[in-house]
Amino acid sequence: MKSVLFGAVAVALACAVPVLAHHSPAAFDRSKEVKLVGTVKDFRWQNPHTWIEVLVPDEKGKEVLWGVELTSPTYLIRAGWKSNTIKPGDKVTVVVNPVRSGEPAGIFRSLTLADGRVLTERPARLGTPDSK
Amino acid sequence: MRQIAAVVLIGAVVSASCSPSQSPAPAASTTPAADGTVEEGKQLSALAPANIAKARPKAPFDVTGNWFIDVSQNPEAWRFGPPYPKLTPAAQVHWDAAKKYTAEGKVYRDDIGQCWPAGLPLIMTRYWPMAMVQIPTAIYMISGFMNSVRIVYLDGRKHTDADIIVRTYNGESIGTWEGDTLVVDTIGFRGDHHWMDQGGVAIPAGEQLHIVERFKMVGNQLEIEYTMTDPEHWDGDWKSTKRFNRVIDEDIQEVSCLPDLNEHLQSTTSKTQVLK
Repeated sequence: MKSVLFGAVAVALACAVPVLAHHSPAAFDRSKEVKLVGTVKDFRWQNPHTWIEVLVPDEKGKEVLWGVELTSPTYLIRAGWKSNTIKPGDKVTVVVNPVRSGEPAGIFRSLTLADGRVLTERPARLGTPDSK
Repeated sequence: MRQIAAVVLIGAVVSASCSPSQSPAPAASTTPAADGTVEEGKQLSALAPANIAKARPKAPFDVTGNWFIDVSQNPEAWRFGPPYPKLTPAAQVHWDAAKKYTAEGKVYRDDIGQCWPAGLPLIMTRYWPMAMVQIPTAIYMISGFMNSVRIVYLDGRKHTDADIIVRTYNGESIGTWEGDTLVVDTIGFRGDHHWMDQGGVAIPAGEQLHIVERFKMVGNQLEIEYTMTDPEHWDGDWKSTKRFNRVIDEDIQEVSCLPDLNEHLQSTTSKTQVLK
């Protein structure tokens, strides 16, 4: 984890995933993924969005604070998350779709924990046409 | 039981004795105001026991439950277009600006993202469930999205006089039963920071916005047919039909746009945002 793995990787996503957000999804570039290898500074388990702050060393070794937006706990719980899944100081790898402005922020795609476990989000969808 | 649930849901303090099966309600609208009760002829609250107890035909269906827009066939089903109506010049300006800024990788006037209420119609189709509790006099709706409250009155009242109505983002909704359909008429909207779409499409909702919704049960789904007019912003009727699924394994939660939310969601404060 000492090595810096930091860079924008253009990825043609097979399909767009609807964004569960209170804001427009247009700020994010869904055609790109950025892999952040760093240390958790904060993890807020709250509605309407959960968010992670990750300190990521840049090419010169200077730590850059990245903001990562996730869906609400409702959907994260269904994908196996808990409020203590990560905590400050944890070494993590987070993949995001970055904001188009180039600022250090993005919307969540996946999380790899130090023990190798990978967590994603559950698609934001509740109920079926048959539920009664 | 649903009456009690509705009372709990909106936080009102009403005695459980409001149930007509437990105690007869007093006659409505006959007591002078001096003792703190309602003046003769004045509209009773939808939660007034005497209003709930009034004799009415049985409602053809009951929407009590949690509902979520059916996106099983189309993840974009939360939008009310395309097709979009022919816009007036006042709206076309915003449509064009949104297209221009989107092409530049920017976000135009995303007021919901800045914590302004979504308002009707978008509040009905957010990616959060809408809790509905129906009693004889009203349907209380609370969205899982920012806990936005919407009340559809079923007690025969008329729309509030235009001179005193307090404009809101969800408007004032009056429902009447027509056969097996509930027809809900909504006016009284705020016309600022209120939009008909989000995410690259900008069509304002103005004070002249008028929405008629036709609620029907189709199998296990709730269907709502929308007819929307706003002569300030588009020509003629804007129609769209939505289906909603019951959510039986999730309740809505407390959700607020708190001051620290966008502070930590850089996308809402980034240089991509065009706020004016």
